[in-house]
Amino acid sequence: MAYAYLFKYIIIGDTGVGKSCLLLQFTDKRFQPVHDLTIGVEFGARMITIDGKQIKLQIWDTAGQESFRSITRSYYRGAAGALLVYDITRRDTFNHLTTWLEDARQHSNSNMVIMLIGNKSDLESRREVKKEEGEAFAREHGLIFMETSAKTASNVEEAFINTAKEIYEKIQEGVFDINNEVRHTSLCFSFLLKPLHSSSVPVFPLFLLSVVFQQCVWFATLPLS
Amino acid sequence: MLGRVKCAVAGFMGGIMAGGSSGGGCNPGSELPMKFPYMRPEFLGLSPDEIECSADHTTRPIVILRETRRLPWATGYAEVINAGKSALNEDQACCELVIARRRPMSYCPPSTPSKTPTAKRRNSLPNGEGLGLRLDHSKLGEDSEGLVFHYWALFDGHAGWGAAVVASRLMQHHIACQLQAVIEILRNLSSLPPTVLGEEPDTNPYLQGNPPGPHRSLTRAASLRGASGAPDSPCNTPPPPRFYTEKKIQHESLVIGAIENAFKEMDAQIEREKQVFHITGGCTALTVVYLLGKLYVGNAGDSRAIIIRSNEIIPMSTEFTPESERQRLQFLGFMQPHLLGNEFTHLEFPRRVQRKEVGKRMLYRDFTMNGWAYKTIEEEDLKFPLIYGEGKKARVLATIGVTRGLGDHDLKVHDSNIYIKPFLSCCPEVKVYDLAQCEHGADDVLVMATDGLWDVLSNQEVAESVTTFLANYDPDDLHRYTMAAQDLVMRARGVLRDRGWRITNERLGSGDDISAFIIPLMYGNHQP
Repeated sequence: MAYAYLFKYIIIGDTGVGKSCLLLQFTDKRFQPVHDLTIGVEFGARMITIDGKQIKLQIWDTAGQESFRSITRSYYRGAAGALLVYDITRRDTFNHLTTWLEDARQHSNSNMVIMLIGNKSDLESRREVKKEEGEAFAREHGLIFMETSAKTASNVEEAFINTAKEIYEKIQEGVFDINNEVRHTSLCFSFLLKPLHSSSVPVFPLFLLSVVFQQCVWFATLPLS
Repeated sequence: MLGRVKCAVAGFMGGIMAGGSSGGGCNPGSELPMKFPYMRPEFLGLSPDEIECSADHTTRPIVILRETRRLPWATGYAEVINAGKSALNEDQACCELVIARRRPMSYCPPSTPSKTPTAKRRNSLPNGEGLGLRLDHSKLGEDSEGLVFHYWALFDGHAGWGAAVVASRLMQHHIACQLQAVIEILRNLSSLPPTVLGEEPDTNPYLQGNPPGPHRSLTRAASLRGASGAPDSPCNTPPPPRFYTEKKIQHESLVIGAIENAFKEMDAQIEREKQVFHITGGCTALTVVYLLGKLYVGNAGDSRAIIIRSNEIIPMSTEFTPESERQRLQFLGFMQPHLLGNEFTHLEFPRRVQRKEVGKRMLYRDFTMNGWAYKTIEEEDLKFPLIYGEGKKARVLATIGVTRGLGDHDLKVHDSNIYIKPFLSCCPEVKVYDLAQCEHGADDVLVMATDGLWDVLSNQEVAESVTTFLANYDPDDLHRYTMAAQDLVMRARGVLRDRGWRITNERLGSGDDISAFIIPLMYGNHQP
């Protein structure tokens, strides 16, 4: 599976707001009403296309509980996008957004794109947080905002893809340092390069390897020609 | 679709490692198919995408057992990849319930190991998933077909992941095969194992008062011992005269022997299969077997197991390193000097000897010594010492820092024809812990982990951390041992700061692969 870019996302927010359900809806297109508590971190991945380019989203779904905070903090590293999720039927999950945002800003790269998500939009009758409040919070803190329903799949696709579009635009504008936040992989060697890319100096192995590769091809073909 | 991707990834990664592990250059072995694809422990149930995420060297996510999954005894598990020393996590783990059947199993090697054909088939053994606590422990260990044993194992690979993956998939079957040969004897705890099998059918009158159990396999020798040795022996007839003394072999020695031979068979299988499959590198092996009320901890390498019991630490293994095995290695070099290839000396010096020092007297020690003495330096002593370096940097033949394990059959000293394997032993040290000796509480555990953990945390620190964590965690939550394992791995990994991974007190965190099992002991108390 070749891809041009690999974007790492992290999903954060209070426990029970539907982080894992959003991920499951996005990767598997299904909803699981009773979801086990996420402990530590879980992963999901999906390929999307933006501007004709294949992009692999690698999504880290974290545990919302306070007791896991010190571990999840270490998972912001390398994330190009974050989905900050609250539950529109529980005001306290909205009230905690500031703390989450502080955490995210402190432990991630300043260019990380943050998408604020008010989840469970299908439960209109139990709504405690108005859509306008979410919009206002997003405006105030420079986030993108969407209300979603992991149950009905409403806006789920859009939430993940719009975040990717934003990241992609930042790359085009040169805002993102491509070597650190997003991993650019030459098409056919994406798997091969992946491990090397994770090292602390991601760009050099890529160049070295491609150089080595070209030389190999050259040397290999020389005697034959 | 997914399956195909998985294969493709595995194929690619295998290809990478093939080049990388052989120190560059073209490895003809890499054209062979792989025995098993690269994987993470089966019980984690990770998809290829998840495996890819878990191999992030910069973020180093701690991967734990999912909440929906259970291991036998509610065992906890956590692992983390290295900080970049190898592309993939070279640790492997296994945890299963295994049945050693009374009838020979199809995959068991015949009794002449040298002619053993390649094991072709994995049998369908239970993986213990979902069995956790609901097992009826009064019946465990006495499956009508054979013996059930619990099995936990860690393998720490080096110079590639191949050997560790193969060992993590197959070692339990080798143990089952070895135990299969002695099932009848192990089940009959009322009399000692016979010295000679099948010498005479059981018509012995001395045994008639013994507790019930299959007597068929008993021989006269065993009957004699039973009659003369046991004070509560019910027979009144004096034992017939004996003209020789005989060693009394306990049942647990048979289990120890089975585990030792299983390690040897596993190593032999890797050697054989290297001819037809691409199996890279070598690995250490730490196995725990729970059988008939006792834990058997077998260790070949530098992983470690300790028992933490009401704040007491009981070491259950010792590490095998160039330093701890110096005398064995030096003796081998002394007896078989050709193994040193005229480039190494079996003597140890505090540092490398310089040419200008020939003729002077310098501190040295030989295989016969723990202390040091002076000798006059000769030309011969200028060779590189067989054992060189200190602590974690100590190496055998300037190559390897661990002296027991599996695989490494074609590992050579860099740029030479000197093989390392003759100096490595696949023989484990097996320690026994009788769970019946005391009642265990919910916080009494066995911690087993690869050297990534023990390099940065002492036994004391591990014990304190686990004890404190468990004391503050819901005793009814079955996930508490996995949470404790996660906490432990986190403590050893630390947090990435400007100057690398740091743990408490600004000490350096472990940049190695780290894997840890935390096994609660209370579930082993209710034995049959």
